[in-house]
Amino acid sequence: MSETTRNRLMLVIAIVMAAIYLFPLYWMYITALKGGSEMFATPPSFWPGDPQWGTFGYVWESRGMGRYLWNSLVIAVGAVTLITVLGVGCAYVLARYRNVWVDVGLFLILMLQVLPASLMVTPIFVGFSQFGMLNYPRLAVIIAIAAKSMPFFVVLVRATFMAVPMELEEAALVDGNSRVGAFFNIVLPLARNGILVSAILIFMQAFGEFVYSKSMIQAVDLQPASVGLNSFMGPNTNEWNNIMAYATMYVTPILAIFVLLQRRIVSGLTSGALK
Amino acid sequence: MTNQIELSGVNKHYGAFHALKNINLSIAKGTFVALVGPSGCGKSTLLRSLAGLESISEGELKIAGELMNNVPPRKRDVAMVFQSYALYPHMTVEENLTYSLRIRGVAKADARKAAEEVAATTGLSHLLKRYPRELSGGQRQRVAMSRAIIRHPKAFLFDEPLSNLDAALRVHMRKEIRALHDRLGATSVYVTHDQIEAMTMADHVVVMRDGVIEQQGKPLDLYDKPANKFVAGFIGSPAMNFVPAVVSEDGKSLTVNLGSVKHKIAIDHQIQPGSKVTTGIRPEHIGVTAPGQGTFDVPVAVVESTGSSTFVTAETTPELTIVETGRGTARAGEAIGVIIDPSQLHLFDETSGVRL
Repeated sequence: MSETTRNRLMLVIAIVMAAIYLFPLYWMYITALKGGSEMFATPPSFWPGDPQWGTFGYVWESRGMGRYLWNSLVIAVGAVTLITVLGVGCAYVLARYRNVWVDVGLFLILMLQVLPASLMVTPIFVGFSQFGMLNYPRLAVIIAIAAKSMPFFVVLVRATFMAVPMELEEAALVDGNSRVGAFFNIVLPLARNGILVSAILIFMQAFGEFVYSKSMIQAVDLQPASVGLNSFMGPNTNEWNNIMAYATMYVTPILAIFVLLQRRIVSGLTSGALK
Repeated sequence: MTNQIELSGVNKHYGAFHALKNINLSIAKGTFVALVGPSGCGKSTLLRSLAGLESISEGELKIAGELMNNVPPRKRDVAMVFQSYALYPHMTVEENLTYSLRIRGVAKADARKAAEEVAATTGLSHLLKRYPRELSGGQRQRVAMSRAIIRHPKAFLFDEPLSNLDAALRVHMRKEIRALHDRLGATSVYVTHDQIEAMTMADHVVVMRDGVIEQQGKPLDLYDKPANKFVAGFIGSPAMNFVPAVVSEDGKSLTVNLGSVKHKIAIDHQIQPGSKVTTGIRPEHIGVTAPGQGTFDVPVAVVESTGSSTFVTAETTPELTIVETGRGTARAGEAIGVIIDPSQLHLFDETSGVRL
């Protein structure tokens, strides 16, 4: 098989795989636009004949989506801020010091990552209720998410810090900076992209978080959009177009952010430091 | 003359590993010192201790007369050029150069002026707005040097700064660094594993091995009178030939053992009769002549010519390397006569390796 044929075959396989992966997304978008009868038509239509744009406005109003999305945003931003502030320092130390205790620390951090949220939620719920933290349910969820996602962030950001050559820091020290100054002036700017990317991943996780929010937030006004979507669906649900419109409005902003910021992930900022 | 850098009884331990063993070294102001040795000999550790990037376990470290043992790097006022250059990739050349000044609170305009002046002397003027990734290896090297020069530090520390450059540029930069050192009247400590760099650039060469200073002195003193077998083998290229020998009963001559060839050579100073020694002779100190006309004859195994000189490897045990200037007459497979001048022999104790 020649090089070109092989490349073309690979491309076709890639396109087919992408199509399979993206089909649910496509289905969500078109279902949101379908009318009541078109939704249940057999065979199904793959392009809405009569797009119902009004569905979005109706769902937004009737479900109070503004409030839900605001709560999701508060929780996600809170969790990302907490994780970034605490995690960056932690990751830096784990990247720069190498001894038995660091290895033990890393192992424990990775262990935390293994435990599923649905397992953790009961002890966390009991603990939080003892401390009276369930009176501030969104804060409680932020802290729970931070605990859950921190390991992931620390491991990613640690790798970023390890990619910043130690010599740059040493050069800064000899040039007259303090350890802290070298961290903020040299290391942090160079690790910025890695931190940003990790923070975005955490943000997207937290924005869609369900288990903790569902268990800890009883008041409807404080629930995030994921819980709102869940309460939309009952055993006899048939308003799939409305649900899909909800899902579309929930997911599209995150998708947009991801597509826009993806370019920042690929950046040769550290190139040229060595050699 | 005042000593700019003074080390006395310096030891460094990494856990159980003894990296620097009782280092004593005085560096006069304006001297160019080369620390040379094989990798892992402690030369980089010593340099990093001077910079303050490593702390020393015992002993005293003084820079310009002040005790520096526990002073952090930023307060030592030394500049360091790293092997990898360690340019800040997110800053332009100008920002790289002025970084140390900006930290010290020098006014922006003054820092800029200083950067322009330094860049003019190192030929970087047209590159000030570029980022390190847009520069060639040689240009990056110059930026790293300029970043050190701009500060007028008490001492320059170089950590193998030329090892990432190609051979031609390396030879060129060697001269340039030395010229710069002379012009600035600086005190420099230069770490290298390349003895030719050490020999050509330095006023004072320090040969290290396993954390110990094996010998220090003027480059040619090290070449002419190596203190032990290690220094003898390390300084000079191609490396010195070492041949086992036994001193005669009267102590006035010795018999070298080259496997197939054994020969008695008179020596110019008295040595313990009957003792076993290692005889060292530099390849460039062995003369070549027609068979039967020299001190003894050896069969030739390999002849390599560089044009300006010819390297002859003799088929003996141990192998004997001979350097002839110009085009040699030796042919592989034939025999040649070798001329050995007894005054050019270096004798070392067979077990301790110390010069006799």
